Parts: sequence; structure tokens; C-alpha cells
Amino acid sequence: MYRTQDEVSLLRAALEGETAAWGEMVMRYKDAVFGLCLGFLRNRADAEDIAQDAFVRAYLNLRRYNLERKFSTWVFTIAANLCRNRLRYRRNHPVMEVDYEFEGGADPARMVAREEREVRVREALDGLPYAYRTPLVLRFYNDLSYKEIGDILAIPEGTVKTRIHRGKAMLKELLDKERESA
Amino acid sequence: MNLEDRDPMDELLCETLRQDVASAAGSLQALEERVLERLGDRLPRRGLWGSLRSMAAPTRSGRRAQLVFVGATAAACVALGLFLGGRLPSAQPAEPVLLGGAPAPARSASTPMMKSMTAQAAVGNGVLFILPAPNARVVSLVGSFSEWEPIPLSDDDRDGIWTAEMPLPPGRYEYAFIIDGRWFGQDPSADDYVKSFGEYSSVRYVGGGGDGA
Repeated sequence: MYRTQDEVSLLRAALEGETAAWGEMVMRYKDAVFGLCLGFLRNRADAEDIAQDAFVRAYLNLRRYNLERKFSTWVFTIAANLCRNRLRYRRNHPVMEVDYEFEGGADPARMVAREEREVRVREALDGLPYAYRTPLVLRFYNDLSYKEIGDILAIPEGTVKTRIHRGKAMLKELLDKERESA
Repeated sequence: MNLEDRDPMDELLCETLRQDVASAAGSLQALEERVLERLGDRLPRRGLWGSLRSMAAPTRSGRRAQLVFVGATAAACVALGLFLGGRLPSAQPAEPVLLGGAPAPARSASTPMMKSMTAQAAVGNGVLFILPAPNARVVSLVGSFSEWEPIPLSDDDRDGIWTAEMPLPPGRYEYAFIIDGRWFGQDPSADDYVKSFGEYSSVRYVGGGGDGA
């Protein structure tokens, strides 16, 4: 029933208390929100938790959402604020990080080469301060403009550009160092 | 983002991040169900305007809300009138009233007494954070504006009033004070409070901006 409806109709239905309409919105945005959370937190369990919290909070605060604003920017902002809280909590309550377990693909030869590169990038991303990592994720995974990233992270557009530029330079440096030591 | 703008590093980054999310597809499958389960019968919260409109609505709950509102206003007026007329036996100095209705901060022998008002005032382009903590040795401010990195507050004249000025653009900011290593998240003059992971943080709206997180 809700699959074919546009976002505004879904949001209006959700405001009327039709939670199934909200379920459809969650389905449409869960990957994007989870990707953002994973970029922030680099921990899959935490990212899932926060993505779930973000959708619950977004629904409860739906009356504060301005329908003229882009929904993705709004829900990303909520998720980013929750991620920052979780990072703060982690600083005060350090826990053991859980390593990723990635599922295999179809072509083993190609997968091995690709996975090796991806593992290196993943490790390099883990080594980046989150102030640099997050704008990279919002740009390259969530495909957002500098302006949108600035709005979500509450930093000026110029700072976003600088952090993306520096973040990429830092990533390259980390990857080069790894290659040299290998 | 245009594809022609991307260099090989960008491509690799995109692919890695997509792969990260794709590999979690299994556990994300039921996310919407978990969200709906947590929501249960809850509806989006009404804002102040929504609550006032519901009071005006000619429904049973609206009428009840009207009665409660009128009763509470009348009681407040009577109490105020008696107080101003000096009829109330209020010789005891009043405890500071916490704004926002949040629970009072826990006090202990080692926690500085928040006797006077804490405040954040807009100063030029910045926001001044003030915290009276006469017995504190080190006070710092952490918040979403500093990515939760501590910013030291200073008390140059040693009067127990610690201050820091932050240049903040309009927006919604969560913050807390750290007093001698202890979290103090309930600034009495905050605009709002949030509780996450068992701890309170204060919320400050600068220039009226904000999001629902």
C-alpha cells in the first residue's frame, strides 16, 4: 500500500499515527542512516542501535520537521547528534571494539584483490579522527553536498571542504605507509 | 557528486563504504519492524502549539485540559497574590528553581553546590558559559560544538565563578560541564535536557535553530 507513495504523503500519514507509513520511510532510509552511523562509529552493533534510535526519535519529533526541508538532511542530523553522544559515552566508558565480519562475494579471484584493498581502506578509515572521517562518509557514501554536510555536522561549508581534502590526504598517507611496511 | 570529479581514491572509498553497509544487509532487514515495535502506540509528540490547539478543541480531553489549565492558572494567581501581600510564611530562602523541569542535579559532599544561577549569555558573536563552582579545582566544558573534547573554563579572580566564551553559529548544541573529572550535565539555565546512556546533557539553542535529536 505504501510502497508507491511519495515521501510527503508518507510523512503526512505517519503524522496521523499510521506507523506503517513510517515503517516504509524507515525502509527507504535505513541503509543511508546506517551508513552514516557506521562512518561515525566504525562499529556495526553500535551503528545499528543508533540507526534504530534515530528513526524512533525522528518519528516522535515528526511535528518539528518542516516538510519543505529535505527529509534525509533532517534524519541524518538526528543520527549524527546521536552518534556524537555515543562517541562521548564511549570516551567515558571504553569498550572492546568488535571486528567486522564481511561476507564473501561471487568471484573469488577478483574478490580477494578487491577485498584486500577495501580492508586497507577500512583500516585507514578506522585510524582517521572522526572529525575527518565523518565528512568523508557523508560525501562518498551518502553522496551529500558540502552545504548539506555542513548543516548536518553544524560546521561551516568551508570547514567541510577542508576536512574532506585533509581527510583524503590523511587516508592516502596511511595507505602509503601500510604499503611501504608490507 | 559528478562521477568525472572522482579520482581512484574516491572510487575506492565509495566502494568500501558501500560494501560495509551491504555486508550488514542481513541484520538491517528487520530494522523497520524493530522501530515500529519500539514505537508501539506512541504518536508524534505535540509541540506547545499543538497542545494549545488541543485545549481549544471541543473534545472531552480538550475540555479536561481546559479545566486543568484554568485551575492551575487560578491557583498560581492566588499563591502569587498571597506571597506579594506578605501572607505566606516564607522566611526560608528559596532553593534555586531549575529551569526546564529537569530532575535536580545530585549533590554530595564532593559536588560543588550550585547556589547561584548558572547562565549562558550571548556575548557578541559568542556564548558565555558560566558555572559557579567555588570548591572546584578544574572545570571544563564539553559539547557537540567541540566534538566532546574538553574546553577549560577559567576562574582568573578565584571567586569560584568559572567562565568560557564560545563563538557559536546558530544551532542546537548539547553540552555538559566536567567538574574535577565528574560529569555535570544539568545546567539549570539550559534550554532543554537530554538523557542518553544514563547521563544527562544540557541543550542550548543559539539563534533559535535546532533539530529533534
